[in-house]
Amino acid sequence: MIKYILKRFWQSGILALIMSLIVFFGMYVVGDPVEMLSDEDWTEQDKIELAIELGLDKPLHEQYLNFAGDIVQGDFGVSFVYNRPVLDLIVERLPATLEVALLAMVIGLSIGIPLGIYSGIKGNSRGPRIISFFTTIGYSTPNFWQAILLILVFAVFFQWLPASGRGLTNPMFGIEWSLLSIDGLQHMALPAINLAIYKICMQSRLARSGTQEILYQEYMTFARAKGITRNRIIRRHLLRNILIPIVTITGLEIGGLIAFSTVTETVFAWPGIGKLLLDSIHMVDRPVVVAYLILITLMFVFINFIVDVLYAFLDPRIRHQK
Amino acid sequence: MNKAPLLEIKNLTVTYPQGPQGKDELKALDQIFINLSEGQITGIVGESGAGKSTIGKAILGLLDSPAKLVSGEIRFLGNSLVGLSEAQFESLRGNQIGYIYQNPMTALNPVLTIGEQVMEAIEANTDMSGIKAREYAIQLLERADVSFAEDRLQKYPHQLSGGLCQRIVFAIAIAAKPKLIIADEPTTALDVTVQQSVLQTLIKLSQQEQIAIILITHDIGVIAETCDYVYVLRYGRHVEQNATNKVLQRPTQDYTRSLMASVPLIEKRLHRFALNEEDKLEDTSTGLHYLQEKQTTQDSTNESLLEVRNLSKIFITPSSLLKAKQSFTAVKGVNFTVQRGETVGIVGESGSGKSTIGRMILGLEDITEGSVIYRGKDLKLITDSTERRAHCLSMQCIFQDPYSSLNPRMSAGENITYGLKIHNLIDRNKAKSLAQDLMSLVGLKREDADKLPHAFSGGERQRIGIARSLGYRPDFIFCDEPTSALDVSVQANLLNLLKDLQEQFSLTLLFVSHDLAVIRQMCDRVIVMKEGEALENDSNDNIFEQPKHEYTRSLLDAMPKFQGLAQY
Amino acid sequence: MKTLKNIFNSLLYKIRPIFSGHYIAIAGLIGFSFFLLVAIFAPWIAPQNPYDLMVLDIMDGLLPPLSKLGNGTTAWLGTDALGRDILSAVMYGLRLSLFVAFVAVSIGTTIGVILGLLAAVKGGWVETIIMRAVDLKVSFPGILLALMMLAIFGTGVDKIIYALIIGVWASKARLTRSQALSEMQKEYIDAARISGIPNWRIMMRFLLPNSIAPVLVVVPMALSGAIGAEATLSFLGVGVPITEPSLGLLIANGNDYILSGKWWISIIPGVVLVSLVLCINVVADRIREYNNPYLKAKDQ
Repeated sequence: MIKYILKRFWQSGILALIMSLIVFFGMYVVGDPVEMLSDEDWTEQDKIELAIELGLDKPLHEQYLNFAGDIVQGDFGVSFVYNRPVLDLIVERLPATLEVALLAMVIGLSIGIPLGIYSGIKGNSRGPRIISFFTTIGYSTPNFWQAILLILVFAVFFQWLPASGRGLTNPMFGIEWSLLSIDGLQHMALPAINLAIYKICMQSRLARSGTQEILYQEYMTFARAKGITRNRIIRRHLLRNILIPIVTITGLEIGGLIAFSTVTETVFAWPGIGKLLLDSIHMVDRPVVVAYLILITLMFVFINFIVDVLYAFLDPRIRHQK
Repeated sequence: MNKAPLLEIKNLTVTYPQGPQGKDELKALDQIFINLSEGQITGIVGESGAGKSTIGKAILGLLDSPAKLVSGEIRFLGNSLVGLSEAQFESLRGNQIGYIYQNPMTALNPVLTIGEQVMEAIEANTDMSGIKAREYAIQLLERADVSFAEDRLQKYPHQLSGGLCQRIVFAIAIAAKPKLIIADEPTTALDVTVQQSVLQTLIKLSQQEQIAIILITHDIGVIAETCDYVYVLRYGRHVEQNATNKVLQRPTQDYTRSLMASVPLIEKRLHRFALNEEDKLEDTSTGLHYLQEKQTTQDSTNESLLEVRNLSKIFITPSSLLKAKQSFTAVKGVNFTVQRGETVGIVGESGSGKSTIGRMILGLEDITEGSVIYRGKDLKLITDSTERRAHCLSMQCIFQDPYSSLNPRMSAGENITYGLKIHNLIDRNKAKSLAQDLMSLVGLKREDADKLPHAFSGGERQRIGIARSLGYRPDFIFCDEPTSALDVSVQANLLNLLKDLQEQFSLTLLFVSHDLAVIRQMCDRVIVMKEGEALENDSNDNIFEQPKHEYTRSLLDAMPKFQGLAQY
Repeated sequence: MKTLKNIFNSLLYKIRPIFSGHYIAIAGLIGFSFFLLVAIFAPWIAPQNPYDLMVLDIMDGLLPPLSKLGNGTTAWLGTDALGRDILSAVMYGLRLSLFVAFVAVSIGTTIGVILGLLAAVKGGWVETIIMRAVDLKVSFPGILLALMMLAIFGTGVDKIIYALIIGVWASKARLTRSQALSEMQKEYIDAARISGIPNWRIMMRFLLPNSIAPVLVVVPMALSGAIGAEATLSFLGVGVPITEPSLGLLIANGNDYILSGKWWISIIPGVVLVSLVLCINVVADRIREYNNPYLKAKDQ
């Protein structure tokens, strides 16, 4: 078990290293920062000086080490557009993204998984078919298009909910949260629903196929042959087994939510890191893009690691691996 | 006896919908009747497709969804079980009737501990709970001959062996002292030496607790050892029923008789199995001619064809950052020779390294140590590529699993001749007729050469595999458990075919099997293997009549005793 | 000609049991075929070439559906801000969306299958490198990787195809490898090896045909995924160039006018996009269901 965790930890480290290499090469080697930073009336001499200033005259591995060294010290550079340290920009916007993503996660899990298990158990009857009809439509509709429809219906037509911005926020632990005010919650509603719909559809489909797979295992029939009641079989044998894939998927979906929040935040003008990323891509604000990618990578590596460890705790076949 | 029998089945018919629209139906069971009194062990025997397992599932209301109980009566202690609600079945299952599955590893839930699974059966079927249930669980495990019962409660199924898991399944089945246990092939998934003791535990439990058992099996040896009474089924229909020794030794029906004649015996070696074989209708002369063409080139016959010297195989899992290098010795310094025209058998349990030896001879596995001398030459020392290829192609293999030994995307004929065409050993235009010749030689129809493998039965596929190996006109054929996946009557037919072919072409065979009886029937000389070592190497008669090694004796003792048909 | 007919017949023979009796899936198949035909023949059936700025008249801008244009023709589905006929724009957008997705999925799948087979057959460091790359890819959401790619290399039809290929190949490689590995355990591969059949022939004639089925089953899913991803990226403004709008970009262009009641510019391409993806998904679902051993038992 400890070996397993150490192994995963080591693999996570490698993953983070490789991703930082890709980002570094992608951003600094494929693209030319000098061209980006220089004006048209600069002379060759000016450009060379800038290159030296940026350390571009040094060998590649040295450049990478500088780059990695700065990151380890928390120095992600200064945004071209905002002229502020990039890390501050991101940290400032992170709570906004996290609160929507987590709210969507909670909605998605608490609706999607019960729906999926129900569909799996009930097989091909009417209830599951209706559910499957809606989930198919749900996951066939691109996120941004759902967002537009939500705005059109709830903000423009009924005028029940605001279509953009974060609304009032209240502080907790020194951070401003929309979760803590009614107005903020109203502003959160549409983005959170937007993110949650897709989650509900995916989670329920995955839970359904997982349930069906387990139902066909021989130990389920054997449990029936033991004379155990149906409810108990579902509570014990089914749920305990299906927990394993669900935990894995949930962990990975947190990453998916953060990724898709780029789309949602853009449509709803929600001031989180996703919107920051897209704005920065459009305005070619490279330090911000690089910092975002590096941080997101680290976060993913961390989530994957946690998921692997949880997985091992839940599955005795891995837990007892020598 | 004037009270109602324990179990009474009349005219039971179960169907499965068939065909693309599900309009046709297949009768899995057709008018089956069974009577069973208390404490009796009754066998239901039949080959695949006989519908044996369906009976057990029908009794407990566990038929899988497309199957339908169309008609018939099932009475347990006089009460009808047909059409009970799920709740009524729940109070019956475990409580009155226990069930034992073929494969204990899939019957136990992998994420629940043994304790949880035994105790939940106790709690569901008795009024015990908590500490009392736990104590009772330990008792049950001990009764089912599980050692260290208390420690096992905390374990998960994957941490225990198959035999132990099956004993745990027994413990679960007897938890509520049911009147009847349905055991569906309870020992098939286990190793030979374990089978015997697990079976004895089952019989012991039945006698101690006065539990009647329906033992569903394909293994006539198991029936002979355990059952008082036996029913023979074929294609879902009743064939014969009687006291066990009568059915086994003096069967009244043709099918039963040929089934019994198909069972390989351990007592004596027969020339062929006494089957009612139809005469070959097809003309096999062209195929014979093709194969005999080469026989003339043979050199001196008294020299040994194959010599294995000090052969060893060590499997190594390479070390990674956090895992030390692991090695497993599959074969340890094995020596033997095979003479031309001889059949040498290697027998051993799973994991004894018997197949690995063959795979090293064929070049499918690298040799860790030692050498294989074939036709007087060590393959490793042959540098000329043409000679090397000829050397390799003259060694062929008949594989174990008929369902995976043919390329599913090639026709039968293409499977047979593809390699020959690649090496330009035959004219491409003649490939098809050669495939047909070889197919007729192994007892298949010529016109079936164009069919894909899935159109053939298991036994027919093995014949295609044999035809494929014959196509190379081999000097040596390695037979890797060629009949272990087949029904006993199909096995007998195939073994007869191999014997015929060997006589016709004086083939040299190395025959690997876990089944002592098959080895007894097929081989001139036998090597007994355990954990990678060759323990004994002697003539067939010596091994089976005067075994020297203790392990050989224990293997022979573990064989179910079946005397074979009474000769009359 | 005869072989073509045979292929068609055997295809029909295989497809029929998948769809017979499943009306929603049949509807999906018909719908998808319709969209495909419109996309292929768009240049010949569209009333206007929306890429040709010369034919556009700014005076025709923002007209609702069924309006008459300056040149006397009718804009059945209205016009956008530039005076572009929405019907024509949608047809061309559909064409571009489908083209991008088809190219990306076919290249991505081919690369995935080849890498998966190589990993399975070669083993050793080849397998390690390929599978670590797959792990790397699968631990990131596709949309994020695509954004990263586009941020590095810039935008354009070719760039978005690359970005989508990156999203497609990995899961196909993983699927092919695991299938090929389980096929390699089978004895017919051993039989081929002892018959001295060269490795590349074993790969092409034995492994490939027996390993490809599960990959083909998920290809429709990949196709709808790629269409959705392209639309999303184009909507975010990092996909296809503004001069050649795909469905996603058309929606983005209309998005600014939605609040002022000019719904058709955005809604019509959106409806087409959703219908297209929906059609593919119901077909894909049915194919997957048909090939799922657990569901199949029930289905018979």
